[in-house]
Amino acid sequence: MSDTLRILVVDDELGMREGCRRILTDEGYDVETAPDGLAGLELFRERLKPEGGTDAGQGRPAHSFTAALVDLKMPRMGGMELVERIHELDPDALILVMTAYATIDTAVEATKRGAYGYIPKPFTPDELLLPVRNGLERRALALEARRLREERQNRLLEVAFERSKCNTVINCMTDGVLVVNRDGQIVLRNNAAARILPECAGLPLPSPLTCLSCAPLAALVDEALHASSLPMIVSRELPLGLCTYMANASPVFEPGGGILGAVAVLRDITALKKLEVAKSMFVSMVAHEIKSPLAAIEGYLHVVLAGIGGSDPQRDRHMLERSLLRAQALRSMVSDLLNLTAMETGAFVVKREGLDLADAVAQAIEACREKAEAKHIALALHKPPGPHDPVLADRSALQSILTNLIDNAIKYTPDNGHVDIAVEPNGMYAKVAVKDDGIGMTPEERDHAFDEFFRAKNDFTSRIPGTGLGLTLVKRLVELHDGRVTLDTAPGKGSTFTVRIPMVRHDAAPL
Amino acid sequence: MNSQPPLVLLVDDDRDFLEMTSHVLEAAGYRTACASDPAAALDAMTREKPSLVVSDLMMKALDSGFSLARQIKADPNLRGVPVVLATAIASRLGMDFTPRTREDLAAMHADAFLEKPLRPADLLATVGRLLGRGPGGTTP
Repeated sequence: MSDTLRILVVDDELGMREGCRRILTDEGYDVETAPDGLAGLELFRERLKPEGGTDAGQGRPAHSFTAALVDLKMPRMGGMELVERIHELDPDALILVMTAYATIDTAVEATKRGAYGYIPKPFTPDELLLPVRNGLERRALALEARRLREERQNRLLEVAFERSKCNTVINCMTDGVLVVNRDGQIVLRNNAAARILPECAGLPLPSPLTCLSCAPLAALVDEALHASSLPMIVSRELPLGLCTYMANASPVFEPGGGILGAVAVLRDITALKKLEVAKSMFVSMVAHEIKSPLAAIEGYLHVVLAGIGGSDPQRDRHMLERSLLRAQALRSMVSDLLNLTAMETGAFVVKREGLDLADAVAQAIEACREKAEAKHIALALHKPPGPHDPVLADRSALQSILTNLIDNAIKYTPDNGHVDIAVEPNGMYAKVAVKDDGIGMTPEERDHAFDEFFRAKNDFTSRIPGTGLGLTLVKRLVELHDGRVTLDTAPGKGSTFTVRIPMVRHDAAPL
Repeated sequence: MNSQPPLVLLVDDDRDFLEMTSHVLEAAGYRTACASDPAAALDAMTREKPSLVVSDLMMKALDSGFSLARQIKADPNLRGVPVVLATAIASRLGMDFTPRTREDLAAMHADAFLEKPLRPADLLATVGRLLGRGPGGTTP
């Protein structure tokens, strides 16, 4: 389809219709005619409908009329009404009225109803063409202006939408954000920043950096603003109230390389700082636990080597024995500590297999027998007769659990006491109970029994070398096996540690 | 009374440490008494007022030694007894209790501070200085 403009001529005089057609066709327009108002309106309406569904371009069919030349005096429907109806159908259509009764009143009336102008009859070809050309030009200009206006409106909407999206994203950030222009004026702060820096909450923007009550932050942003080399990020830890923040500020560069401003991000690192303190507390604790036995060992060695108080072979031997005992306890503490760390970092590999619990207990009892005999403590194993289902456990971890518990029971039981170990395959879990008739624990001691480095301290225990890590290790190992360890104890009534380890079921799939 | 050697009260929950230090002090001519916690120490002081107290810092609680020292200095009868605090707490990490000035010591209610492991010679020198004796202990 060419971009030929199509013009409708409506007049009840055939001569006028054909005359117009000739003049306009010569000028390159497509012309159609109608003999009265109603026919003209029908034709105009018909051409506005999409042609065979192919809607050319912006909702306006290519074969529709761009302009209409309308006679005023016509049968069936007068020109005035036709002008009005056409204008209703297509407000963009150029309508020109042709009349032999050209008065100001009719012209004004027609213009009110939507006509662009009028052509007094009779007219020369030029007198017809000039207003048509002018009108069409005006119409094209108006349409273009409207298109531009709409485009601009759309773009503005888009920009506004993008900006609000950006604002929403910045405001939803958990970190505080402050943006400063090159003059050191705060031009943006998000919700988190207003929370962290209360003086920011009601701050009119822009406001100078000096409005910030946190001087180090203002200094940091200022530093970023005057960054000499790029890209440059300045960071500082800022304690604000009860919290600690990590403030990072960096300059914002414009495409040419000049500094536009700076952006600062405030991140809450309070939890990290607490962790740091906890870590250093733990290291101090470990150092203390290592230095205490070393202090005893070194002290004894000094006394023996320097022969302080004269030489007494029996006394020297006793001091050396004590030193050896403390050194062994220290070594075992270091290995417990390494095992615990390995468990925490996930480096501790548990290889589960079906194991006979009664056999494992018997083995652990053998390992502890010498210590029990030295204190004349009776070690007894109680187990139901016959074979039972195996437990699902790591062999060395299970040994570590059992020997730790039996060793513990022997340690905290006075001479000539009893330690009874009962094995009971019980439903989904096998149960081992290690019961002693030793000193027991107070409720407070029981609550901390599984804590790292916890050791009940009293006259009896002060002589017992221990790491304070054995029970922590037992608990972690048992839990690593999806098991449970419980403690029943009272001062003077002894303690019973009960461990439950999952069993391999007969009906379960083979390992 | 004057013929009796001075009594040093040792307070520590580590029996080996008590045994070692009491041996060192006794060899130097002092008498010693041992207590394994602050309560037992205060109890022992009611029986016989010591000339000096050497206490561990961290026993049942983190600040056992501090509270014992505070109680001694608050008691009109015991106020004059010098207190030596000894600890194995690592001074370089997290908890730094090492006093650097006289004011620090006063705040701790202590007269001297020793870091474990301690050398017998250092212990004797400190005790001797506080009791106005030579490091040997026996010479007045």
